[in-house]
Amino acid sequence: MSIKVRDITKKFGRFTALEQVSLDINDGQLVALLGPSGCGKTTLLRIIAGLEFPDCGSIQFDGRDITDQTARERQVGFVFQHYALFRHLTVFENVAFGLRVRPRAARSNDSEIRAKVKELLALIQLENQAQRYPSQLSGGQRQRVALARALAVQPKVLLLDEPFGALDAKVRLELRRWLRRLHDEVHITSVFVTHDQEEALEVADRVAVMNRGQIEQVGSPDEVYDSPATPFVFDFLGSVNIFHGRVESAGVEAGTVKLSGPGHEHAFSRTQIATYVRPHELEIKRERNGDSSSVPATVVQVHKVGPLVRVELRGEDTKDIIRAEISRAVFQELALQPGDRVFVKALTERRFESDSPR
Amino acid sequence: MTFTLKQKSILPGFGLTLGFTVFYLSVIVLIPLAALFLKTSELSWHQFWHLVASPRALASYRLTFGASLIAALINLVCGVLVAWVVVRYKFPARGFFDSIVDLPFALPTAVAGISLTTLYAPNGWLGAPLMRLGVRAAYTPIGVTIALTFIGLPFVVRTVQPVLEDLDKELEEAAASLGAGRWRTFTRVLLPTILPAAITGFAMAFGRGVGEYGSVIFIAGNMPMHTEITSLLIVTKLQEFDYAGATAIAVAMLIVSFIFLLTINLLQVWSGRPRKASPADDEMIPRIDLRPAFGTQEAK
Amino acid sequence: MPPSSKPEHAAISAISEPAVVRWLLIAAAVLFLGIFLLFPLGVVFGTALQKGFAFYFHTFRDPDTISAIRLTLIAAGIAVPLNLIFGVSAAWLIGKFQFVGKGLLITLIDLPFSVSPVVSGLIYVLLFGLQGVLGPWFIDHDIRIVFAVPGIVLATIFVTFPFIARELLPMMQAQGNDEEEAALTLGASGWQTFRKVTLPNVKWALLYGVILCNARAMGEFGAVSVVSGHIRGLTDTMPLHVEILYNDYQFVAAFAVASLLALLALATLAIKSIVEWKSGRRLKDEPLYGRGAQA
Repeated sequence: MSIKVRDITKKFGRFTALEQVSLDINDGQLVALLGPSGCGKTTLLRIIAGLEFPDCGSIQFDGRDITDQTARERQVGFVFQHYALFRHLTVFENVAFGLRVRPRAARSNDSEIRAKVKELLALIQLENQAQRYPSQLSGGQRQRVALARALAVQPKVLLLDEPFGALDAKVRLELRRWLRRLHDEVHITSVFVTHDQEEALEVADRVAVMNRGQIEQVGSPDEVYDSPATPFVFDFLGSVNIFHGRVESAGVEAGTVKLSGPGHEHAFSRTQIATYVRPHELEIKRERNGDSSSVPATVVQVHKVGPLVRVELRGEDTKDIIRAEISRAVFQELALQPGDRVFVKALTERRFESDSPR
Repeated sequence: MTFTLKQKSILPGFGLTLGFTVFYLSVIVLIPLAALFLKTSELSWHQFWHLVASPRALASYRLTFGASLIAALINLVCGVLVAWVVVRYKFPARGFFDSIVDLPFALPTAVAGISLTTLYAPNGWLGAPLMRLGVRAAYTPIGVTIALTFIGLPFVVRTVQPVLEDLDKELEEAAASLGAGRWRTFTRVLLPTILPAAITGFAMAFGRGVGEYGSVIFIAGNMPMHTEITSLLIVTKLQEFDYAGATAIAVAMLIVSFIFLLTINLLQVWSGRPRKASPADDEMIPRIDLRPAFGTQEAK
Repeated sequence: MPPSSKPEHAAISAISEPAVVRWLLIAAAVLFLGIFLLFPLGVVFGTALQKGFAFYFHTFRDPDTISAIRLTLIAAGIAVPLNLIFGVSAAWLIGKFQFVGKGLLITLIDLPFSVSPVVSGLIYVLLFGLQGVLGPWFIDHDIRIVFAVPGIVLATIFVTFPFIARELLPMMQAQGNDEEEAALTLGASGWQTFRKVTLPNVKWALLYGVILCNARAMGEFGAVSVVSGHIRGLTDTMPLHVEILYNDYQFVAAFAVASLLALLALATLAIKSIVEWKSGRRLKDEPLYGRGAQA
């Protein structure tokens, strides 16, 4: 089922959670709503679910306006951040709940319900825990029960609020791959909320990056990562070096030395602009070799983090801290020591007009 | 109209529960209380003052507030002691003593009244030894204070106990590691922490004492000007069909109670253990990422 | 919350007192509780059984005593269910919805706690009494409220008014709306959600509230005394009957009736402990669900 979100605005008191948000989600897609806390992503998810009502705007499922329908009528599956499992019911009864509360006419008989629940418990690999209570399960198991419970009613849309937020790192990783596989099998239109860019980029078909109640960019994980539409998206999807300067002609004047990468010949004329470069897109060299786009810098600190080495440098002209990420092999080849004078070059970069030059 | 004043919610039953709650509250509480003030408004300010400030009434206030204050002070000290011992130490029948603290809440006041009177009467189990020491307890202000101490006993214990239970022991360990002795740790670290809760309990015990009737009238002796508490004065006036007098004094007491309720609420805010902040505060901001995995514990 | 569900502090030596101090403090606390709580309790049962069991049970054959017990049961039997319905309704309203005036509503519900018992009785006399605001109308229609059973019931309802709401409210607030919302997205109706999700989650608080409410309803003295009129065999509740017997110098009989009320109090405390133990254990089992529920 496709979802169309049109011009949704939602205020809580004086706080504007969503402002004129529109979003299209195609049938069968797995979409991530990505953003920092307080950006409105959960509110948007709850509005799609019918758990919250927008101040204005509309929601359509398959082209049908369902803005005024209640959560009960919308037939969505919702997985809560803290699972919201019924603590007084067993795993089995939690999953069966949605089937048991159906109106008598639409309700399956008990043996059908049992068969259906068994099937779902097999899907989440918890057949042996059916008679346990939620309190006796691990976080990952609870999450899977919450998912099975939502799927039991055969929802048209599956909505997940920070599905892995409360889990520890290892379980997170396993469970999100499992969710991806599950989605490939079940093919139900799914939306999940996350503040973890890695999670969004890895699991989702499409990512909607949100900030301050608005959607900054929607696109495939590659699109949003490789060509961020706004400085916020660039910043949010990974760590970044920002160089401020004015455009003279082709290169950016950062301090007095131009920092320029290939292929960016925008002709901003004398506007304040900021150049964004990811740490791993910086090259460190011992010699300038006549490359005028390199910036001289001094190594300040070196942190070895597993296979990567994070190098903190200070630009000689601007005195700004520059963060670079290089592989261990490159690091060993360069044999960097704090205090060394080196040259830094951006392999790729993106520029945005900036309102507030330093 | 209510819907514009209310966040739209998907949970059902708002209209029904609001209607019933307000209706029931009005019938049982608000309308009868309004009758009290309506009756008072029939009096002129001068009449009202004359009734409220008569010598007999003033004597009853002195006894009621004085005895309540002393009783609450006793409970402040002993309540902190009991809470401390019950939370911190292991000893035989600790659970029993912990449970029995609530007895004054559960025991009907009339039962407490006759039993305390019998206990402290000149020939009672405790009254006889006290008489030999030259202390007459029953039928004197001392008896009133004893009854009010009994009635107010659970308050300080029950407000301080959860604070002590939740107390981070690292706080004390830090004090100890900084070289503070046990006593200094107690006075400088622990006492300031439990003080707001203790004061709240003190205020509750005091408030309860001021309004108390059943447990006091048996042991008080009820001599006008001497051992007559304000509640009894109201009843006496009522029995003499002096409705105006009863009402005026009742209104005076009620106003004092409300001021107390307000003070206690402010104290609870100060002590940092208010009623759980209304969920409205959560709703102001999108709920994501803001809720800790472990919620706050509610003090009772 | 039972102390057992809290981490033990006792074992840490750096932050505990010398044994002597410890035992002195324990002795002082136990002495205080003993004198103020156990002695009065001892007097009740000691005096009640002073003349033996036969005399003790004889008291309960007195028609006035029987009628006092009956009236107490009637008053509690009406007050508790009404306050139960009110408590559930108010707790649902305040715990689950956001609306203007909520703080005021909570304060108003607490109001009866801060009104002294005598004044609680007085307000009904002023409303329904002979010179009362509504009194003449009721008397014209031959309905007696004050100095009759309805007045006693009303006064009982008033003094026990907040109990159940006050126990339920923190639970409902602490548990949030997540489980209810989950039930609704799964297709449950409002009533199904309440019955199958909300009610099971607050059952211990509900039980405790009912028990407290009942104890106070059966034991109320001041408010009931003012509206009762003290007509033996007609408008005497158990606590009022205790007073009458005591003032008649029938001490043993007074304490015999009082002992029943004391037993009720002890039973209330016992059930409270059980409820705390039960719900405390449940909470302990559910660290991730430990959202501050407290019996």
